[in-house]
Amino acid sequence: MADSSSTAINIPESKSTKSKVGHVAYAATTKAMARKGGWKRGVAIFDFILRICALVAALAATTTMGTTDQTLPFFTQFFQFQASYDDLPAFTFFVVANAIASGYLVLSLPFSIVGIVRPHAAGIKLMLLIFDILLVAFTSAAAAAAAAIVYLAHNGNSKTNWFAICQQFNDFCQRISGAVVASFIAAFIFIFLVMLSAVALRKH
Amino acid sequence: MKESAQEAGEVQPNVDEAPKAAPNRGISILDFILRIVAIISTFASAIAMGKSNNKLPFFTRSISRGEYQDLPTFMFFVVANSITSAYLVLSLALSIFHILKSGAKVTRTVLITLDMIILSLLMSGASAAAAIVHLAHKGNVRANWFAICQEFNSFCVRVSGSLVGSFIGILVLMLLILFSAIALSRQ
Repeated sequence: MADSSSTAINIPESKSTKSKVGHVAYAATTKAMARKGGWKRGVAIFDFILRICALVAALAATTTMGTTDQTLPFFTQFFQFQASYDDLPAFTFFVVANAIASGYLVLSLPFSIVGIVRPHAAGIKLMLLIFDILLVAFTSAAAAAAAAIVYLAHNGNSKTNWFAICQQFNDFCQRISGAVVASFIAAFIFIFLVMLSAVALRKH
Repeated sequence: MKESAQEAGEVQPNVDEAPKAAPNRGISILDFILRIVAIISTFASAIAMGKSNNKLPFFTRSISRGEYQDLPTFMFFVVANSITSAYLVLSLALSIFHILKSGAKVTRTVLITLDMIILSLLMSGASAAAAIVHLAHKGNVRANWFAICQEFNSFCVRVSGSLVGSFIGILVLMLLILFSAIALSRQ
């Protein structure tokens, strides 16, 4: 009887020691995995934050350019008295491109969150990298085309007889200049995103 | 049976290691070739724009010559293309280094970053010039900007052709960045 009680007491102890060893080993492996994926997780979080900043910049550029509409209160013989973004095809392209960039950023936010939760998912990161590369080129193309037209609007060109329309349309000019700046900021952030993805893709 | 299975098991790791280095070497060689294509493309584009001038035999309004220097955007375009071809020539050295030593991680990351910045610069130059060329071809009624291509035909043709070369360079650069990223993710 005493033997059975002593054996009954012994067995749970050995079970608990075994489970303790098992727990310690499990904790050690998870800690090691967390340390390995630790910096990747930080990079993924930074990537997410940058995406939100780029979204804000691209949305600001789209709405600022898209809501341009200035009507001058006077009439002249030679000049039109209305200016909006769809008068110039470069600005239409600008609005469309920035809208596409904002839409892509909204859609890529869940993939970025998956990248935070699972730092070792390489397929998702490669896909995001490919699209980010395309969008760097796209956004900087739109920003540069609009910047060329804005430069012409501010300064004109005497050799080609193109008049500087900013002298007439002040508010329109300020809006388009601001929109171009916001779009360049978005393109810059895209470049950072690609650099981050390239760093995060490295296997260790 | 057991011995052959063990032998097969021992041989396996060596077989796994060899193909890992080879695909990256293939990508590095492709990278080198694409860089040369991009150099030719952007250099030709810069030269075509830089040598474009069109003298009219008579005076119309105040314009008698169409030069690329008349439009600051075209100057930026020529500068951007020249910087790109110079950078690509310098990066050929890094590309050759990657062919010889396929396991380099830090240099590939640096190469991707620099390629990214140059892509952005080239794309800005090309699309700004494209906007001006579009304006030159079509003009703009609302802003009262006249389509100068109707007067300066050969200037317009040269400028449009040089734009095409620049866009080819951009496409090749994007492929280069993609291949570098794929090679980096395999290591």
